[in-house]
Amino acid sequence: MTKSILETILDPTTLSVFFQPIFEVRNGIKRVDSVEALIRGPRKTNFYRADILFDYVRRKKAEAAVDQSCFTAVCEAVTALPEDIRVNVNVHAATLGQNSGFVDFFRRCAKRHSLKLDRFTIEIVEHAPSCDASRLTATIAQLRDFGVRIALDDVGLGQSNYRMMLDCDPEYFKLDGYFVRDLNRDPKRRAVVSSLVALAKTLESAVVAEAVGSEEDLAKISELGVDLVQANILCAAMPLEDLQKLGHIEPSPFADVPAESQHGIDRVSCIEKYTESLSVAFGESS
Amino acid sequence: MAKKILIIDDDEQLRRACHDFLADSGYEVDCAEELEEAQSLLTYIPYSVVVTDLRLSKLAFGGLDVIRHIREQALPARVIVLTAYGWPELKTEASASGVDAFLRKPARLRELGAAVDALMGATA
Repeated sequence: MTKSILETILDPTTLSVFFQPIFEVRNGIKRVDSVEALIRGPRKTNFYRADILFDYVRRKKAEAAVDQSCFTAVCEAVTALPEDIRVNVNVHAATLGQNSGFVDFFRRCAKRHSLKLDRFTIEIVEHAPSCDASRLTATIAQLRDFGVRIALDDVGLGQSNYRMMLDCDPEYFKLDGYFVRDLNRDPKRRAVVSSLVALAKTLESAVVAEAVGSEEDLAKISELGVDLVQANILCAAMPLEDLQKLGHIEPSPFADVPAESQHGIDRVSCIEKYTESLSVAFGESS
Repeated sequence: MAKKILIIDDDEQLRRACHDFLADSGYEVDCAEELEEAQSLLTYIPYSVVVTDLRLSKLAFGGLDVIRHIREQALPARVIVLTAYGWPELKTEASASGVDAFLRKPARLRELGAAVDALMGATA
């Protein structure tokens, strides 16, 4: 029998994972701070486009199931990243605000792929007004216990508002591109960004500017005190192999090692042995 | 820029036949098999003409929801209904919702082509 659209999307092997670096830019020097994992739907379908994919998922009210499918695909892709690269993952507020067992799933899935939980930042997207705020904050607290950081996506737009800043207490505000566009020429946009930067500082959060469109806007955003930038002018979202070819990301030395134990070798033991050998090389074991 | 058409029908063979015929006529054509897929496409892609069945999967009159969505969102798309239903009441309701043309299944592809060309001419 032919699979339905939703059944196809719920199969993580049909999803592709792209990565877009988030750069720390200081004094004109940029370095990769972390990467955001971005999902594309099944190839050669309407859902390859992320905006159409997630609009459809929300119409079907299938956020929790699809977020799990996406995280499985992300974990598989992240195994090929070096261990020291932090990874941002998008999760719907509705998923975190339901009793969907997401935290348990998240923990088990990362463990199955031998990935440390504290390298993940969860970007909360699409806060639905009906979302259970107390359950949302409880879920966030559980995730924080595992070292997971929280980012609030699309700050300033839709439901990503002051209440969410208080409820989620995010480590990062992700400033929507709407406020950053033409910042250089628009004093009103600069006023909005300045106020959000000041608020973030008071709330002890960092600000990430998304979709910076020009070098002039990049200079202006830096002048306003934003050091973290995610923008196509710096690097577009692309498959990991392409990022590695551009030299933004080094390949993981453990990428070819299976996550789960086969013939007594798995990624965790491999990494431990490698770390041990480095310690010996630097005389730390003596 | 090529004018875009959206075909909405849960019958895969029919979608493919309409797609190939209209694509051969020089149009850019997308297809959707269910209501939510159509609504998502309409949210992000500007279509000049939408061809929809009235019955979509398990939704007896899902096509009417598509038409309502187009009108509520004030989308400029012209609408052709391609359906096996012949009820006058349904036709009246669909017309009131802003349908631009009706084709009764089974329709000939050249009839569909003529209806699309006529509406495309009207939108030019």
